Amino acid sequence: MAGGPRGRAAGLLPIALVLGAGLLLTFTLQERYHHRILTLVLVWATMGLSWNIISGYAGQTSFGHQAFFGIGAYVTVLLILHAGLTPWIGMLVSAAVAVVAAALIGFPTFRLSGIYFALATLAYPLILRIAMDFLGYQEVAIPMAREQPALYMQFRDPRANDLLCLGVFGATLLLSRAIERARLGYWLRALRENEAAAEAMGVDTFRCKMAAYMLSAAPAAIAGAVYAHVVLYVVTPDSVFGTLAIVQTLVVCLVGGIGSLWGPVIGAALMLPVSEMLDTWVGDRFPGIQGVMYGAALVAIILVAPEGLYWRLRGLRRGARPAAPPVAVVAGPGPAPAVSRAPDGGGEPLLEARGVSKAFIGLQALDDVSFAVRAGEILGIIGPNGAGKTTLFNVLNGFLPPDRGEVRYRGERISELRPSAVCRRGIGRTFQVVRSFPRLTVLENAMVGGFVRDAEPAAAGARALAALERTGLAARAGALPGSLTTLELRLMELARCLATDPRLVLLDEPLAGLSAEGVEAMIAHIRRLPAAGVTVVIIEHTMHALVRLADRLLVLDHGRRVADGLPAEVTQRPEVIEAYLGTRWLRRAEHHRP
Amino acid sequence: MGGIYAVMSIGLALIFGVMRVVNFAQGDFMMLGMYLTYYLAVAYRLDPLLGALVVVPPFFVLGVLVHRALLVRVTGGGDPQRQMDAQLILTLGLSLIITNATTMVLSPMPRQIRTGYATEAFGLGPLLVNQARAYAFVMAVLLAVVVFVFLTRTDLGKALRAAADEPEAAGYQGIDVRAMHGLAFGIGVALVAAAGGLLATYHPIEPTVGVNFIVLMFVAVVLGGLGSIPGAFVGGLVIGLVQAVTLLVLPLQLQNAGVFIAFLAVLYLRPQGLFGRRLRTV
Amino acid sequence: MEPRQNAAVTRRAVVLAVVGALLGFTVAPPAAPAADDLTIALVAPLSGRWARQGQLKKMGAEMAIEEINAQGGVKALGGAKMVLREADAGDSVEKAVSAAQRVLTREKVSAGIGSWLSSFTLGVTEVAEREQVPWLTLSYADSITERGFKYTFQTSPVAGAQAVKALDLLLDLARRNKTQIRKAAIVGDNTAASVFFFKPLREKLLQEKGIELVVDEIWTPPLADATPVVQKVRSTQPDIIFFSATALPDSIQVLQKTKEFGLRIPIMGNGVWLLMPETVKALGKDLVEGVMSTVAAHPLKGQEALVKKFKDRTGEPFMVQDALMTYAHVWIVKEAAERAKSRDPKAIRDAIATLDVSAGPAASTLVPGRIRYDERGRRLDATPIIVQWQGGEPFTVAPAEFATRKPSWPSGK
Repeated sequence: MAGGPRGRAAGLLPIALVLGAGLLLTFTLQERYHHRILTLVLVWATMGLSWNIISGYAGQTSFGHQAFFGIGAYVTVLLILHAGLTPWIGMLVSAAVAVVAAALIGFPTFRLSGIYFALATLAYPLILRIAMDFLGYQEVAIPMAREQPALYMQFRDPRANDLLCLGVFGATLLLSRAIERARLGYWLRALRENEAAAEAMGVDTFRCKMAAYMLSAAPAAIAGAVYAHVVLYVVTPDSVFGTLAIVQTLVVCLVGGIGSLWGPVIGAALMLPVSEMLDTWVGDRFPGIQGVMYGAALVAIILVAPEGLYWRLRGLRRGARPAAPPVAVVAGPGPAPAVSRAPDGGGEPLLEARGVSKAFIGLQALDDVSFAVRAGEILGIIGPNGAGKTTLFNVLNGFLPPDRGEVRYRGERISELRPSAVCRRGIGRTFQVVRSFPRLTVLENAMVGGFVRDAEPAAAGARALAALERTGLAARAGALPGSLTTLELRLMELARCLATDPRLVLLDEPLAGLSAEGVEAMIAHIRRLPAAGVTVVIIEHTMHALVRLADRLLVLDHGRRVADGLPAEVTQRPEVIEAYLGTRWLRRAEHHRP
Repeated sequence: MGGIYAVMSIGLALIFGVMRVVNFAQGDFMMLGMYLTYYLAVAYRLDPLLGALVVVPPFFVLGVLVHRALLVRVTGGGDPQRQMDAQLILTLGLSLIITNATTMVLSPMPRQIRTGYATEAFGLGPLLVNQARAYAFVMAVLLAVVVFVFLTRTDLGKALRAAADEPEAAGYQGIDVRAMHGLAFGIGVALVAAAGGLLATYHPIEPTVGVNFIVLMFVAVVLGGLGSIPGAFVGGLVIGLVQAVTLLVLPLQLQNAGVFIAFLAVLYLRPQGLFGRRLRTV
Repeated sequence: MEPRQNAAVTRRAVVLAVVGALLGFTVAPPAAPAADDLTIALVAPLSGRWARQGQLKKMGAEMAIEEINAQGGVKALGGAKMVLREADAGDSVEKAVSAAQRVLTREKVSAGIGSWLSSFTLGVTEVAEREQVPWLTLSYADSITERGFKYTFQTSPVAGAQAVKALDLLLDLARRNKTQIRKAAIVGDNTAASVFFFKPLREKLLQEKGIELVVDEIWTPPLADATPVVQKVRSTQPDIIFFSATALPDSIQVLQKTKEFGLRIPIMGNGVWLLMPETVKALGKDLVEGVMSTVAAHPLKGQEALVKKFKDRTGEPFMVQDALMTYAHVWIVKEAAERAKSRDPKAIRDAIATLDVSAGPAASTLVPGRIRYDERGRRLDATPIIVQWQGGEPFTVAPAEFATRKPSWPSGK
């Protein structure tokens, strides 16, 4: 699990095995050509792993990753040429250049998301490629250094090449594993699964993406530098910035399966030997057919395992034996439960909205809404569909900036903050439709929240487990969200939100879709929150549940505040009944009134 | 040039808009369209401008078949992101097969359809406008108009758009979304093949000609706003225009760099593309 | 992540990966040639976009090998037969280098030839140098023989020299046709081959000859539209266009445009691209008529029998540089083996380095009819040839003593 000496060592065994297999091959292979295949596998596995950091873990598919690969190759070789710098250092310089380039590219490009991001990244290596041609670097041969071959990475012994590639590959594996197990790894997977939910759980998605992008650029550059020295011997824009480089990377990753440490490794270990095999067996005799067969192999593999071989194998295992719940080794100091927090000082409202307005095209969603939330209360917000309730939440936690007005939390203006910053200040939220991270376990879902307070996975795990215990979900910690009931999903989202250690939670229709028993269970959980020092703001459109739950009600209609006050009082007001049930009901209500 | 980019891009936009498939083999279908037009021109002396129309039905069928035989197997169900990745590799594999097979069968050397008008120009004042390009442009615009009318005025076209915009709702209304995907893929492939045919009036044909255009197609589609048909059309025109305008400020060598820079600039200013709708984040 | 489960999955993954990797290493070497054969490796693009060039190279090499074997093989080696082992360089440097590594380490190769694009050659010769196998190439790039390699032999005139000699030949041609060249245009792409050709022209040669450079239009392939380029040429009316583009479609577009704009300016190209059978097929006889190009080899006066034999064997309409060059290369290896009296690549390398042949098929294929290499591996006195399209076929027109046709100077407008 996320802690303890066992957990810390466990992931290292397969890495050691793979590197051991690499060493074995290095010292048993006889033919130079076989050594070359080995180096190709290792270089492309490294490149795949690097792509996997940004596009696998973080889910930001990039079609332009070869930009860093090419930077690695060009910077290293040009440094040899113009400054006589050994590639051992040049390689590190090129990695630094690539990281800077990643920052420069990422900063504007992460404004885009999904396929827009993917296609925008396509442009960078193409521009670099054209630039290299323009600058006259069509063919940059690596000058031969006869005197100091080792200093210039020009080994006669192919085993030295293997070891070099193995070292780079091993380092990238360890980097990937470290990311996977660190807070960043959890956050990246969370934002890949659901960016909005991650942001609401305190994940600064922009900074996380930037971090992942910069981290992934370095190994790509090193792979490029090594590729130039042990595979190409001559650098051309086409061979390092061209489409072939990214196609190879995509093939390696997608065949192997993205988002896991082993996908790119499996993909490279399978596809490169296959490609060379085809070249040898048929390519030299029937030129061209190897390309057709390689394409057919790709199609066949994807038809058999659309999600990639690693996930396919894993799926087969899962199918054969239900997933064992994880060993919940809670190590380190348990979190101080947030039970005994002194109520916030006196009459000062915890959260205050002042004159908040928000319009969408042709629709005034919020119109001059003001209200205050007092510490320790349960405030219910009701209103018919389209009244602006969810929009109000989106403004409160920072998803939407208000057009006018402001939101203050404990005296601080928070209406310009990112949702993640709002969350870190102590405002958690849940969503109308549960936004889980489907490929993370229940515990990991909650851990994403826990990381807001603890950077260490062990501590965050403990915090998450505590939150699951509070909501009675501890037994389901190892399950995937897909196997949960609606109630459990809602509870999981609540636990995730509580794991951020909030002072205030915004619950968006937490009772929707629940059975009668479910509603009771949920209400019981929510009722316990104020005693634990958590103030609650809750949206519902089922009036009767809220009347029982809330200390105070706020009624919205057409984006305006219609009424607020004690539940019993508010529900009797004619304007509320009109807004909520329509004028016909108003007449009936008046008729029935004694 | 812009007009043909526009028709190519419409085909890709249709496929992307309706199916969310990033089709890497699109350039290869275009290449095949060029070859078929070439052989029609050589064997039957069919003018490539007409040939471009003749290739539409067979390529429509080809597109539908490819969709039926391959794409549906990884479409539908599961995680949309992974599905997209799988389809991407699938079309990549397809592209490898088509390019290599064509090279083997038809030789890698370029061919050219020789028409009387390919080397003739209209004199418009001081400007000379190539006749082949002019005819191709007119045909391209006509094709685009036909597609547009089909999508907006016919029931089938409306159903197609419904399947693109609201696949679930369309399903409830009894629209066979899968059939619509097949239809979109078929039309998309047919359009790009037709664009290839038009291109063949003045552009040499070789098995790898597709890769030169696929990137520009993607740029045009994104520029116009993914999935937007008029957007893709305008995107294609814009690329042609930017290529021409770039020459006034940058050396010819950097012509396509100019296109990519313009592309990035548009994306930074309007992340949803020129005609795209902004997606609500929450 | 759950480590235990993960470990189980990764164990499988490791097994799979190792199996996959091992599969790659179980590739059985092809049937070994008889021990007393002399094997030559040909690394050239046989698939992908440059496959046509590779096929031509193969045709030329095969023809030479057949001739040699029919004459009784390598006599110094007891009549050893020559064998060609081709490896597909595909369309990337990675593939080309892999192919060289494959063929050089899995077989007893005495010498290697080929590899087309200069970037491929740069990578492939690196392998040959490490494996200590002599390599003969027709690539033009100066850089190939600037690295101090001992096993690389460049039979073509290097690009820098080509520009010098091509300009001399051209000025000579112009003089004979009583025209003067005052203004020149440079038009082409920025691939390596073109850059090497243009660079000396632009930097000093034209100036030395008092020629003004009026247009210098370079593009990054593929060329979207030749109109702006040709428009510039049209508005400046140079006396000669120096043209070089590695992608034939780009050349086709430019030539079509020159006709569209009614330009009648002599075109001096570089490389074999302009001289392929497909060029005339795509453009038509009229469009290519008069277009010239400099190449490293083209059928010379006295080679008519050879060309006829080649045409009969292959069905090609004429013979071009690539086939001629590999033909000559195979013969050069044969001559070297006769002198080395050995199959050992090192011995053959030494023999090539000290070779001086001025008779036989190898020598008669190349201008100036004598084959010697200098200490860098460049052929001494290697002279480019100017070829011109006449009546739908390219003919050698310069140097005059080797020409098969008289040059015709397109009359200026």
